[in-house]
Amino acid sequence: MSEKLYQIISKVFSIDSNRINDETSPENLEEWNSFNFYVLLDEIEKEFEMKFDLDELLGIKKVGDLKKIFTKHGINIE
Amino acid sequence: MKNEENLAYFLNEAKTIKPRELGRKLRVAFLASSTINGFEETMRVKCYKKGIDCVTYVADYNQYNQELLNENSGLYQFKPDITFLILDTRHILGDYFFSWYSVPYDDRSKIISKKISEIEIVCNTFAKNSDSKLIVTSLQIPNYSPYGIDDGHVTTSLRQIISQINTELFQWNLQYKLLTYDFDQFVRKYGENNIFNYKQFFSGDIKISTEYIPKFVDELMRYVYAVTGITKKCIVLDLDNTLWGGIIGEEGFDNIKLGDNPVGRAFVEFQKRLLALNQRGILLAINSKNNFNDAIEVIQKHPSMILREDNFACIKINWDDKVVNLQRIAEELNIGLDSLVFFDDDPINQEYVRESLPDVLVVDFPKDPSQYSQIITEMKEFEVLRITEEDIQRSSMYLGQKRRKELENKFDDYNEFLKHMNIQVEVKKADSFTIPRISQLTLKTNQFNMTTKRYQEDEVSKFSSSDNKIVECVQVSDKFGDNGITGTYVIEKKDDEEWIIDTFLLSCRIMGRGVEEIMIDQIIEKARLSGIKRIKGEFIPTTKNKPAENFYEKLGFDKEDNFWVFNTNNIMKKPEHIKVKKNE
Repeated sequence: MSEKLYQIISKVFSIDSNRINDETSPENLEEWNSFNFYVLLDEIEKEFEMKFDLDELLGIKKVGDLKKIFTKHGINIE
Repeated sequence: MKNEENLAYFLNEAKTIKPRELGRKLRVAFLASSTINGFEETMRVKCYKKGIDCVTYVADYNQYNQELLNENSGLYQFKPDITFLILDTRHILGDYFFSWYSVPYDDRSKIISKKISEIEIVCNTFAKNSDSKLIVTSLQIPNYSPYGIDDGHVTTSLRQIISQINTELFQWNLQYKLLTYDFDQFVRKYGENNIFNYKQFFSGDIKISTEYIPKFVDELMRYVYAVTGITKKCIVLDLDNTLWGGIIGEEGFDNIKLGDNPVGRAFVEFQKRLLALNQRGILLAINSKNNFNDAIEVIQKHPSMILREDNFACIKINWDDKVVNLQRIAEELNIGLDSLVFFDDDPINQEYVRESLPDVLVVDFPKDPSQYSQIITEMKEFEVLRITEEDIQRSSMYLGQKRRKELENKFDDYNEFLKHMNIQVEVKKADSFTIPRISQLTLKTNQFNMTTKRYQEDEVSKFSSSDNKIVECVQVSDKFGDNGITGTYVIEKKDDEEWIIDTFLLSCRIMGRGVEEIMIDQIIEKARLSGIKRIKGEFIPTTKNKPAENFYEKLGFDKEDNFWVFNTNNIMKKPEHIKVKKNE
């Protein structure tokens, strides 16, 4: 599941998936900007058939935060 | 023609594309009152795929008024060819968007007029300061009303006033430079709940959701096609399983699926869509592997057939190679391969043509005939900014062309054939009736075009009212009917001694019948009357205008540096089989 998430991230940001880990964020990944972040969320919502709410969306600062939201939604990513 | 690409694809692709040497150049500016990230990236990629190197300018967030009103702004320095002004209902109406019904009746029309004039002022300022086309989007009419089901009974309801503003915007279409894109229609097509995403709006001021940005830019591409003149002119159709269900050679006349049954209806509808395009000036042609007699019998006699022989400008039903047939069709219709769209249900044929003739647009055909009609309704490659009388007459003109060819084949001597044609040329000045067509000719004529200068309507209009220029066109007719306005020239009056031929072109379907000589003769005669001594012409070679290369030389122009010069004391031998009518 985590692999699927990394696949989406690597596709949207057009980066190698081995550059992604829990700490990956706009701070340390140049390819991640405030706009393509929305595109990433679109892709995740479609792939995992879920919706982020506004609070969740605003709280996502790094990849680890995404995983926490999955856990909350009961989506098993391990 | 795959449209599945999502925004992530365009954002990434935009980073990799680089301008090419030979690509067409286009400068596009975007102005909006909300975030329009992703628009310019998507447009650059889409343009790139069509052979256009697009350079973009995106105005600072919510600065469009300042950009448009200040003549030193970055926008004007950028010198765009096309400018998109993306208006937004919420922004234009402000609080009225929510509380319109609290506005007293008497004040409502005043407020609307004010809103309209605000938009008008910025647009007019732009028209004054820039040569760019300005595409303004219409306002979206919201689905919701606080009055609910009773909204329809309210006079000056929110929906009514927005459509009033839109109507006003569309009337500006009558001017040459301002065009309105029906954004409300775009929202109706995909749905307000899809286009507008509250989450993205609140957190990022995004008013067209990221998922729909590629679809929206697709719509804006219509203007790119129309302005750059890369529109398609002819649809080339396969027959079996394309125009009817089944294979005529195997199933026979009575068993093909066409007519009042589920599958047959799909083909009938598809043909009706094609017919409507044909009636507005898109040519149709057939490229089918079949026994000619089997297939033509269906076209002539099948009771449910919508398209008949006369709808096709060129018919190739044979066992020859499909690529060869496509080349023949382009040649016979005198249009470039890049003007052709190929419809064939067979994926192998599609791939073969795509590989062999990359200039031809090969449509990705769905397997299910019920989806065929949608190919037509989704196509954006036929756009022109204005449909002219010539567009509407085109099909019958090509039919005349077919008959001319038949006559030509009866004569051994080409000059004898010309004498029998009773060709008449009427010289017309550029005016409001002819300007759209003159512009269209400069945009679309590639072969017999001395300088290949492309002019939009507003430019032609400017030339025609200038004292330093002459803009005229010729309408050509013969015993088989009217060919419409098929040639034009723009003369620049340099001084009292010399005129320069800025533009001289003739539609290729008229080429070689003496009309081009008559046009030059008109220019010479006019020059003599004005006491002009020298007429100077230029041939600017392109990849396509070889047929015009030796034209000036043949008529007795002398080479001087890069120019061809005609001394008006000399006499030019002009063709005698053409009658000239002047419209002064």
